[in-house]
Amino acid sequence: MTTTSGIASGIRRRSLMAAVSIAALLSFAPAALAQDLSGELVILQWQGGTDAEMWKKVEDAFIASHPGVTIRELNITAQGDARGGIRTAILGGEVVDIIINTWPAFRAELADAGVLRPIDEQWASFGWDQKLSQSWKDLGAIGGVTYGLTYTYGDRSGIWYKTSHMEKAGIEPPKTWEEFLASFDKLKAAGYATPVAVGAKYWSHAEWFESLLLRTAGVETAAKLAAHEIPWTDEAVKTTLKKFAEMLAAGCCGDPATMFANDWDGAADLVFKAETANYLLIGMWNNARARNDYGLTEGVDYGLFQFPTLGMGHDDTSSVDTKELNATANGANPAVADAFLDYIVGAEAANIMAGYGYASPSSAADSSLLGPVQQTATAAVAQSKVQFVLGDLLPGDLVDEYRVQLQKFLQDPSDANIDAVTAAIEAKAAESY
Amino acid sequence: MSNPATSSGVADVGRASSLAGGGRRKLAATRGWRFSNAPVAFFLLIPVLVLFGIAVVFPLIETIRLSFFDIKGLGKPKYVELGNYVKLFADPAFRNTLTTTLTFTLATTVVSVGIGWVLAMLCSFAPRLTTAFRVMIFSAFGISEAVAGYMWIGIFRPDAGGLLNTVISMFGFPGFAHPWLGDTNTALGALIFAASWGGVGLPLMLCFASVQAIPKTVLEAAYMDGAKPMSIMRHIMMPLSLPGVRVAIFINLLGALRAFDIIYVLTGGGPVRSTETVGYFMYRESMTQFKLGYGAAATVVLLLAVLVISIPAIIQRTAGAK
Repeated sequence: MTTTSGIASGIRRRSLMAAVSIAALLSFAPAALAQDLSGELVILQWQGGTDAEMWKKVEDAFIASHPGVTIRELNITAQGDARGGIRTAILGGEVVDIIINTWPAFRAELADAGVLRPIDEQWASFGWDQKLSQSWKDLGAIGGVTYGLTYTYGDRSGIWYKTSHMEKAGIEPPKTWEEFLASFDKLKAAGYATPVAVGAKYWSHAEWFESLLLRTAGVETAAKLAAHEIPWTDEAVKTTLKKFAEMLAAGCCGDPATMFANDWDGAADLVFKAETANYLLIGMWNNARARNDYGLTEGVDYGLFQFPTLGMGHDDTSSVDTKELNATANGANPAVADAFLDYIVGAEAANIMAGYGYASPSSAADSSLLGPVQQTATAAVAQSKVQFVLGDLLPGDLVDEYRVQLQKFLQDPSDANIDAVTAAIEAKAAESY
Repeated sequence: MSNPATSSGVADVGRASSLAGGGRRKLAATRGWRFSNAPVAFFLLIPVLVLFGIAVVFPLIETIRLSFFDIKGLGKPKYVELGNYVKLFADPAFRNTLTTTLTFTLATTVVSVGIGWVLAMLCSFAPRLTTAFRVMIFSAFGISEAVAGYMWIGIFRPDAGGLLNTVISMFGFPGFAHPWLGDTNTALGALIFAASWGGVGLPLMLCFASVQAIPKTVLEAAYMDGAKPMSIMRHIMMPLSLPGVRVAIFINLLGALRAFDIIYVLTGGGPVRSTETVGYFMYRESMTQFKLGYGAAATVVLLLAVLVISIPAIIQRTAGAK
């Protein structure tokens, strides 16, 4: 027979046991949750070539540490700008957990449309502050709300060259603008027809304008221009184009038709394959191309020097690009998406990327794994005031007009045409914002 | 003389197709067709009508509807009435595409059909001996424009690796080597040449069939009267093969008007938009800038242009039908 006090005692004992059990469970919750992650993670993927290969390796490593998770890539096939394909997929009702993004203006568009969910809570709970500095958080934020988690970045003010070309011309990589211009004649005398390979077919000719803008007018002016807080007819823009004109007048790039006949990859071929050109200003993805496609040894066969100094008070600036992950608001598996975001800024993912020549902003990354060229670029960016590549900050219709007008500038770099070109971009900007 | 009655259904169908107007109605009546059979006919047509509605009618209506909205990226659509059309015709880039489209369309049609027609007449002098040649020419028609575009990129490449420039240099004219696709003066010409290459096969086949349909007696009479091959071509083959040529022109015009793939691959509409046609403009506005309403308005304009060409041609081709 059981007494009332005995029952009460039993209940108290069971309550105590339950409380202890719950406390024990709670104390192990993070580990338990990490093990329990399961289901499908859908990633909207538009990268190709080496980037796609690297990405697959990162995914495989994530799955290896989370056996209950599967990853499905929603692949967008695009030549150049993938935003059209991404928009089509989203409007078409595709549901993904994560979007790979490289355009800050596009992030804003996605956030405005309610496609993205903020990741400030995750930033705090996963302790990403320990791995990423505040500037990376700011870069992924819109109006104080964080949507983007940067996982790689690249120097866009680095000029690629082939070591043997420099040796043949008897020159060192130029440090100043004057040295840079003077090197053209020496390279031509060494038998190279076109010192600078400019691939102006679509967009890569704008790289020269953008680094020149930073070195001429600084990051603040470039940021204001991107936000249309100053007009495109501003003297800073005209001065930048006049600097660009100096380069053309010095015989850098051949005739406009040759520039228009190539995109950046054709221009890279001219430097590293046909060996008829010497300098190439393009992003760090060329590192993988040089190693894999041309079979060159990083730091031995080819190198990279930072954009020459202009002496106009802004030589501590560099243009950069990044890739970030955006978590979607309607993703079916937000817990796994968050775990993947955490994984991408961890040591394992950063080191996989380093193996492919990509720099991670995470402090967990082992920078010694980077090759010598990537280390040069990383150091240059670390010492610079940086500004995101201008073209990716502009509204879609403006960026198109901006690139076409820069083509017109290449056809005729006179002062009169600089006025016409800047006026045309400004006219488009007036209706784009 | 009346035809003997047949007991075969197949023969009935063949006969029905050869009859016109009242004759066909008479046959239908004799086989027991009644208005009451219409529901069954419509029922059988439902699958086709549904597919046609999904694949053609709905996209068409949706495109026309979108053309009245201002849509930027993933933002909310804003009704702008005819605003997109007004803006379109005030847009210098679009006006430029109209000129480029007209040039491209007429030039590729003249070149493709012209070459196809001449080759068809020449081949008809020795039809069996030229079979392999005709198959080879026609096979280019079966190659995807995108794939052909990459082949032409290799031919027009500006550096030493470009086939055309290499050949020019081999013949001792290195000064004539040129970045064909990069020069605003030559890019459209190069594009027309490349597009016409793939376009010769169909006119060749259509014109060849037309030439083959010329009664042998006419050609034999010309030979017996001492006509030379050139005279036969000029005075007999050319005029009598015109029906085939008209069909070839019609098909080429429509194809060239809507051209996109080869422009996308070869020039991307450049340099400095010098090769941008309405089809490419539509893609650029809709897909790269994602101004769906504006792109839809350009699509509707292109559709109207296609209709302007198609309707008279369809009326002319079906004038004899009842």
